[in-house]
Amino acid sequence: MPSSRILPEFELLLPESVAEAVKMLKKHKADATIMAGGTDVIVSGTQGFITPYVISLSKIKGIDTVKFSKTGGLRIGAMATLQKVADDKDVQKMYPALFKSAAINGTPQIRNMGTVVGNVLRASPSGDCACALLAIGAKIVFEGPRGKREVSIDDFFIDYKKTARKVDELAVEIKVPAPKKGEVSAFNRITRTTLDLSKINAAVSLVVEKGVCKSARIAMGAVAPKTIRLTDTEKLLKGQKITGSILEAIVASVVGQISPIDDVRSTADYRNQVSPVLLRRTIEEAIA
Amino acid sequence: MSKHPITLTINGQEYNLYVADHHTLLQVMRDQLDLTEVKYGCGRGECGACSVLVDDEKEASGRKAIDSCLALAVTMDGKKITTSRGLGENGQLNSVQQAFVEESGIQCGFCTPGMVVKATSLLEKNPNATEEEIRFGLEGNICRCTGYVKIVDSIKKAQKVINKK
Repeated sequence: MPSSRILPEFELLLPESVAEAVKMLKKHKADATIMAGGTDVIVSGTQGFITPYVISLSKIKGIDTVKFSKTGGLRIGAMATLQKVADDKDVQKMYPALFKSAAINGTPQIRNMGTVVGNVLRASPSGDCACALLAIGAKIVFEGPRGKREVSIDDFFIDYKKTARKVDELAVEIKVPAPKKGEVSAFNRITRTTLDLSKINAAVSLVVEKGVCKSARIAMGAVAPKTIRLTDTEKLLKGQKITGSILEAIVASVVGQISPIDDVRSTADYRNQVSPVLLRRTIEEAIA
Repeated sequence: MSKHPITLTINGQEYNLYVADHHTLLQVMRDQLDLTEVKYGCGRGECGACSVLVDDEKEASGRKAIDSCLALAVTMDGKKITTSRGLGENGQLNSVQQAFVEESGIQCGFCTPGMVVKATSLLEKNPNATEEEIRFGLEGNICRCTGYVKIVDSIKKAQKVINKK
């Protein structure tokens, strides 16, 4: 039995550039874990899950930035902490769902260490930033031995902790498009205590013109093996005024699209009953 | 076992160390340097007993609170770190520590080193924090004795003292 107090041994690699990190990944492939903030890598390490090599991004300069421009949208570097994203004025103003998912993630200490990109790349079905970014829409930028590649977040989550990242690729940043005219978003989650992982989370991004929903992206987490989009619900919303009867149809549409399980945090039963309510509230919050 | 040479400045003192790759900052401080004021509570970032301040030039206060159980010592190379022992100057308690004594914000004392570190950082970042903001800022620090009321009272008292200065 591994000790829960002491990490198993591994070799720590400290690349000073993205190119150097990619070279290390090319050599060690699945034998290497990429570590940004470390808040997940170390916790799973104390539970015995660690690879022979850990590649820390801590010495790579210039990848901890959060930048917004009207043409380029928002760009979040691989080492940008949750707190840095939550403190960013542009994020607060233009991406309420992303802001909230970062601002309430973990604890203040964890937010000072953990990163938004790490939250997405870990691909836990309960990842809060992952849920918010799936709703808003984003691209993950990878660097690998074959060069640069961008993957839409829609194609990124494949199955439980399985993603479209190739073993020798490093996620260097996440790009989020600038909000469209009339775009609103919201994020909510249910946890027992604030630092718990979500029992259920939900995020919506809607383009609303004169009360009519022009397009919708809806994401939920911890209700399936991966963070998912509720495309049936999105279709229900499109072209409609968001009124009581539409909200009822939305509530009724949720259970058929999710496949929750019983685990330490909650039960399938609870998740089936509460998910529709959480989603309705999140939509109401977005358009309020 | 793979090791790296690193330099840490803890509470103003420089340490040149040779540390194992898989050792956390907490482990190195407690086991190699005998800085046992930094407590091991949960080892997974939930309780905050191991909180320390790390210098960060991008923060307005120049430093921020982290959980030392979640940081590998090697990745902290070159950093300036402050534990509860280093909060005060010239052997004096800082305003937060003094207020914890006066307001009985301490019972068993195990969470206290992390609590005063986080509270100091909280007031550095937001000197006019409301009670709600103080409680939100303490979400990463668990106390199993006080029920938090006395802790929040202590921080409010410290806030008054600091803002008068």
